[in-house]
Amino acid sequence: MSLPIIWWVALLLLAVQLVLWKSRAGTFLWTLVSCFSFWVFLRFGFTVPVPQSVISLYMGIALLAAAAYVTSSRDRLEGFTGPLVRLCTEPARRPLLYAVVLLLPALAAFAVYRQMNVKLEAPAFGRTIHPAPPDSITVHDKALNLTTLDNPYRTLEKSDPPAFASHVANGRRVYYENCFYCHGDALRGDGMYIHGLNPIPTNFADAGAIALLQESFIFWRISKGGPGLPEEGGPWDTAMPAWEKFLTEEEMWDVTLFLYEFSNQRPRAREGVHE
Amino acid sequence: MSARGVLVLLTVLAAGAAPAAAQTEPPPGGALYQKLCSQCHGEKGDGNGIAAPRLMPRPRDFTTGKFKIRHTPSGALPTDDDLRKIIREGMPYTSMPPWPQLSDQQVDELVAAVKSFSPDFANPERKPVPITIPKAPAYSEESAKKGKEVYARIGCPACHGEIGRGDGPSAPGLKDDAGYFIRAADLTKRWTYRGGPTREDIYRTFTTGVNGTPMPSFAESLTDEERWQLVDYIVSLDGREDPGYAELVQVQWTTDDIALEAPDKARELFASAAAAYFPVVGQITEPGRAFHPSANGVTVKAIYNARDIAFLVTWHDMRADVSGHNAPDLPVPPEEDKGEVAADPADEGGGFFGEEEVTEEASADDFFGEEEGTADAGTESEFSDALALQFPATLPTGARKPYFLFGDAQNPVDLWFVDLAKKVATRYKGAGSDSLTLEEGEDVTAVASYDKGEWSVILKRSLRATGGVTFAESQYVPVAFSLWDGAQRERGNKRGLTRWMYLYTMPRETPSPLWPMLRAAFIVLVVEILLIVWVRRRQTPVSPVGQEG
Repeated sequence: MSLPIIWWVALLLLAVQLVLWKSRAGTFLWTLVSCFSFWVFLRFGFTVPVPQSVISLYMGIALLAAAAYVTSSRDRLEGFTGPLVRLCTEPARRPLLYAVVLLLPALAAFAVYRQMNVKLEAPAFGRTIHPAPPDSITVHDKALNLTTLDNPYRTLEKSDPPAFASHVANGRRVYYENCFYCHGDALRGDGMYIHGLNPIPTNFADAGAIALLQESFIFWRISKGGPGLPEEGGPWDTAMPAWEKFLTEEEMWDVTLFLYEFSNQRPRAREGVHE
Repeated sequence: MSARGVLVLLTVLAAGAAPAAAQTEPPPGGALYQKLCSQCHGEKGDGNGIAAPRLMPRPRDFTTGKFKIRHTPSGALPTDDDLRKIIREGMPYTSMPPWPQLSDQQVDELVAAVKSFSPDFANPERKPVPITIPKAPAYSEESAKKGKEVYARIGCPACHGEIGRGDGPSAPGLKDDAGYFIRAADLTKRWTYRGGPTREDIYRTFTTGVNGTPMPSFAESLTDEERWQLVDYIVSLDGREDPGYAELVQVQWTTDDIALEAPDKARELFASAAAAYFPVVGQITEPGRAFHPSANGVTVKAIYNARDIAFLVTWHDMRADVSGHNAPDLPVPPEEDKGEVAADPADEGGGFFGEEEVTEEASADDFFGEEEGTADAGTESEFSDALALQFPATLPTGARKPYFLFGDAQNPVDLWFVDLAKKVATRYKGAGSDSLTLEEGEDVTAVASYDKGEWSVILKRSLRATGGVTFAESQYVPVAFSLWDGAQRERGNKRGLTRWMYLYTMPRETPSPLWPMLRAAFIVLVVEILLIVWVRRRQTPVSPVGQEG
């Protein structure tokens, strides 16, 4: 039941191919159904919808491939054009011919109607999710070099576990007093305010988020928030506060520890240094 | 504190004194409860977690054995299924989130944890017996009409308001059993119902009551038929089951004159304009935070003609606060910024209601009383209700917009502010939350009215006015909204707001699709006929029989 959608669609289309093969379908029918199947696969086979422009591109390639296949031999070409020619010429198929002749213009008119009644949408702008941090920042009048900065309490993990645990506990307090409204109870970026936000808050539970970042990056994002983002990060839209206005330096480091501890992740080690 | 609570406390103390014992003794409720739930519901299940002081409604105190959403009679304990459902699905628009990521086994573990905090669950005499909800009859307009009478007869308007907007005369004074302010549900917004939006959910809520709150059970006083009538009336209050949040409001072209001298007539001009419903959340980015603002949504319509642009902004507010004053730059003291919800309104400094709030006695008297008069009659608040529309001071050319919280130094915003005590619009230039300057001249005009729990404000500005944003045909303009509820002491940064949304000034004339449609159809038809003729010509020498005379 939990099979990804792509497999369901692929299985369905394979079944269609099997039916065509069993029923000895001609080249015409096969080409038509295969092109349509390919479109179905692109349109419905993916959980994250494929953009229309990409679908058009792939469909263009598919149609070229179909044309190459059909014209690759005289037999195939005849197999393809045969049904069309019979449709145009045989008196017995006249009703079908009339239906097709009327249906295609109606479809064209409908497509134009759809195009002219596209739902108005707010303009969308891209933004960089992990923008490059500055070399240094100043937090609470203290200059910090981000390229060499480490979490000062990280070493306690080995040297003094109870002290480390109390820093994590303090980070937990900071998180549930301040952060969970947006980043969520289980750090999944699904807090109670997200329906009012765009961009949506980071999901810390995602393996592709904080595990790929150093703690100094997290500290920069927490202390400087949305207003501290460079231009490509779209600082004007994000609701992330500059937490230096509310929290001490220690609280910001502690909440960083908590993010990793709660989600069972490790910060990315600095290249060429320990670990 | 219950006997179990004392025991738990002793256990914790003992564990602290003897670390060896702590190794073997599991924490109250188990490790999963402690990791996922204790931050709000408390390590001892008493609803006093780290996050609790800033939450509204407050997290459940499991030691009391009182649970809101149940399939069991008033005052009874919930069934395990009731608890499972709340853990799985959460309570919308509260800080109780859904937990879809947990396994069935983990949910059962948490149900057991919740039950472990109250000795009531171990009492065989209190074993919960669920009520049965009969199959819902089909919705009908007549039933809804009769439901309106039921609604009035059993006293719903006292808290929920005449047409369900949560603005009854008793609403501002409501408190839960622990003495915290609790908001009567806005029945017109089904998506915010804590126990779910379906007709069965509504039936269940007023049949079983909401334990620990002023919402009573109507199990004895209503026949089954009357209950479904009441359900149908509540459903009929607003057709939407989900909010359908918008990101864009269409500014409709009109040839009519936009005159605010006759507000009712001005309101009619908006009849054909499309309504956009935007989500409102608390301002929690800048100091002076509002963790739980009064408003959770704002409806906007907009029109323009050759001379003016006008906005009709409506939102629900349980009481019109039209005394005192308000401004976007009023300071909020740092103590209040902590956002703590006072338990007893008598000693609150920065709580949800000021000293002017309706007294407890009044709420008790009014509860099932006549719903004459409104809550705002005779109440004076220090801060008035207010509204602001925010535009970029100059139209952005690319992605760059001003900072969504009143702009920034490089990209200022144009703020149209209406203090609803004065009902006069002013304009501010915003270069950040701490840098607002009042603009000269009163070129934005406004009219405002409050009716049955809803503010309705029209703002108008000349398209030729100088300074601030300009509007032209077929143009996207960023827009954001701020709402202040004086009763909740919202002012300055403490407010509800939307992020940047867009408005689009619709073209004066919408081209008809008819001609382009006909043209496309005609072209396809001609191509078809040419193709058929060509095929037949080519086939003729090969199979002349195929062609008819």
